[in-house]
Amino acid sequence: MSKTTIQRILLFILLVLLQIWLFNNIHLFGVATPFVYLYFILKLPVKMNRNAVLLLSALMGLIIDIFGSTLGLNMFVMAIIGFLRFYLLKLFAPRDVFEDYAPSFETLGNFMFVRYVGTLALIHVVILHLMESFTLFDPVNLGLRITGSFILTVVFICAFESINIKGFKK
Amino acid sequence: MRNLVNFILKNVHWLLFFVLAFFSFYLSIHNNEFQRSKYLSVFQEIAGRVYQVSNSIESYMNLKTINSDLIQRVAVLEQELRTSKQEVEVLSELVYPVDVRHFTDAYPAGAYSFLPARVVNNQIARTDNNYITLNKGTLAGIKEDMGVLSPTGVVGVVVRVSPHFSKVIPVLNPKYHPSCKIKGTNFFGTLSWDGEDSRYISLKELPQHALFNIGDTVVTSGFSTVFPEGVPVGVVETTFKKKGENYNSLKVKLFTNFSALSEVLIAVNALKNEQLNVEKGESE
Repeated sequence: MSKTTIQRILLFILLVLLQIWLFNNIHLFGVATPFVYLYFILKLPVKMNRNAVLLLSALMGLIIDIFGSTLGLNMFVMAIIGFLRFYLLKLFAPRDVFEDYAPSFETLGNFMFVRYVGTLALIHVVILHLMESFTLFDPVNLGLRITGSFILTVVFICAFESINIKGFKK
Repeated sequence: MRNLVNFILKNVHWLLFFVLAFFSFYLSIHNNEFQRSKYLSVFQEIAGRVYQVSNSIESYMNLKTINSDLIQRVAVLEQELRTSKQEVEVLSELVYPVDVRHFTDAYPAGAYSFLPARVVNNQIARTDNNYITLNKGTLAGIKEDMGVLSPTGVVGVVVRVSPHFSKVIPVLNPKYHPSCKIKGTNFFGTLSWDGEDSRYISLKELPQHALFNIGDTVVTSGFSTVFPEGVPVGVVETTFKKKGENYNSLKVKLFTNFSALSEVLIAVNALKNEQLNVEKGESE
């Protein structure tokens, strides 16, 4: 196993643990929860097999679901995310890239990376909250929760990414 | 053929995506109580229509037994009506020299009226979550918390309604405990089902000093706004008392045959809101 594969496995475990123990318990102002585990799917190499990405992201959603007792919810959202990632990367990432090319601040550029993160995070929080409420009963509260979680998720992921860059350079 | 295989291989991620999405959607519907209830209220209407078709065929086959049940019940009621009419005549002449019957006409004869309905789905084979679906809903004036009776006895209470259907929790559900008493006395207890035999039910929390005999009839107490007083429930079969309990428990054989339930009556209490308001301490 290469060094990056081991790093990815560790990142997977770290993000799942962080999400279960820390981020799932954050409800800022009662509305905003960061979904930082998305970061793992964002950072997978652009050229990685689409089926593998799909299975990995669904697996991640399932694990989060099992520990958060929301069986199926996160898995459903993550299946959609894993599926759409390919099409989004077509928009954001350059076409001809080497094998291990992964999206980051450096490879995509600051602005493009934030846009890439923002799009996926938006899709994620909108679908997750719609699934969670299952109705349009309280649209104001729903909108607040979507906006809050979206901002918090993007901020946390960008922060995570900048820490990651520094960590790798050492 | 080869092209087809190639096409499928090339697009296998679509297949994988839909399999994953349907699987997780199924999981979330079946494991999260809230999503499940939303899903159910939408599909209850659809499922109800399907059951209605299959049941309209089935009900023809049960007509014979239902008819004989009904005729027996009519005969009993007729007999009761005659005797009580005679009693009333005798008593009113004794107590009131003047005819007072026109005074009583000014008041409602009873708070309850009855709507007929038909069972379209009957799930009483399970032990923990039995329910029955009826073919009438809000459009027929049915609301939640209305009592349901069969020609022979008590059935249950309406818990959820859609425009054309309503869901009933029968007494054969461990979660439902209506208040009942021994006919002719004022000793009351609560019914509860242990989830074993659909022909028997337990009457619990009956006071120790309550007088009763094996074979006595158990009827509803009329303490709630769900059932009128005196709806027959069953006959006392045996009595059992656990050590250290201050209450008697009775094993009661139900009058209602739940496995062949088809025609039911829904008890509509016209004075329900008034009673509830008074109990809550609010004026009309």
